[in-house]
Amino acid sequence: MAENENRDLKNRDLKDDLFELICFMLSSARGLMDEPKAYGPFRIIDSVSRLISILEKHQLADDFLVREKKKIEEGKYSVMDGEDKFREFLDGLMVDFAEELKKR
Amino acid sequence: MSSIFDVIKKRRSIRRFQRRAIEDEKIRQLLEAAIWAPSAGNHQPWVFIAVRDPKSIEKIKVVSPGIFDIPAAIIVVCRDMRIAEKAGNPELSIFDIAMASQNMLLMAYELGLGSCPVKSFNQKAIQVLLDLPEHIVPELLITLGYPAEEPSPRERRDGVIFFEKYGHKQG
Ligand SMILES: Cc1cc2nc3c(=O)[nH]c(=O)nc-3n(C[C@H](O)[C@H](O)[C@H](O)COP(=O)(O)O)c2cc1C
Repeated sequence: MAENENRDLKNRDLKDDLFELICFMLSSARGLMDEPKAYGPFRIIDSVSRLISILEKHQLADDFLVREKKKIEEGKYSVMDGEDKFREFLDGLMVDFAEELKKR
Repeated sequence: MSSIFDVIKKRRSIRRFQRRAIEDEKIRQLLEAAIWAPSAGNHQPWVFIAVRDPKSIEKIKVVSPGIFDIPAAIIVVCRDMRIAEKAGNPELSIFDIAMASQNMLLMAYELGLGSCPVKSFNQKAIQVLLDLPEHIVPELLITLGYPAEEPSPRERRDGVIFFEKYGHKQG
């Protein structure tokens, strides 16, 4: 397959993946009007994880993001263990990202 | 065969699934379990749609923030609002579909399948995707698949069981 065709296919794929993420975020927005307050941060962090997955699939994510995605996947369900645990989990992520931001 | 109490206690909401199809026979058994649930006035105001096509599943997932992996099948549990309203008290039909859903969750466990009830989905989008007429309202999705995780039981709240009168904890 010619290089250009290959790139087109990948772009189309990326477009599909992003379109699906948009549908997901839109469904989240509508759902959150009727869902518990804690689901708001949960959906946003879930969107972050999904976005990193897309970046990863298209070789656009670096090691830091891949590592953080793993952390998000392992910890995101703490939303069901009460607000304190979930807050602690989000604070942990925020510290990681702030340290990374400082380096960049 | 496990005892019903074993099944009730060991069933967990499963959110990670193996990439393995579910035998049609098992899906049929789940649906059969659903329709044998009790129903107020025996109106049976329910409709169940078993979705197995991977493309449809992917599309349902995209509008369902409460689904976290790709299930092998989804049973869309709907209320038939024409029947529910004709029965007099449409609210009762929620009990009916809840009981039918629990039957499916327990049956799934018995068949070696993982399942999760999912309420976080966009009703309108599901109606469009599945060509549902307006009076057939999707209320709950049951995601199904061979489990790829063994979650530990979530805590159960204490202080909810009383004997004879509210506040009497000793039986
Ligand atoms: C009406 C209802 C809606 C639910 N919706 C979701 C959902 O959208 N997504 C999800 O992952 N789990 C959902 N659950 C599963 C619950 O989170 C789960 O039952 C609860 O945490 C207890 O865990 P267990 O089922 O493993 O005992 C739902 C459960 C019920 C009964």
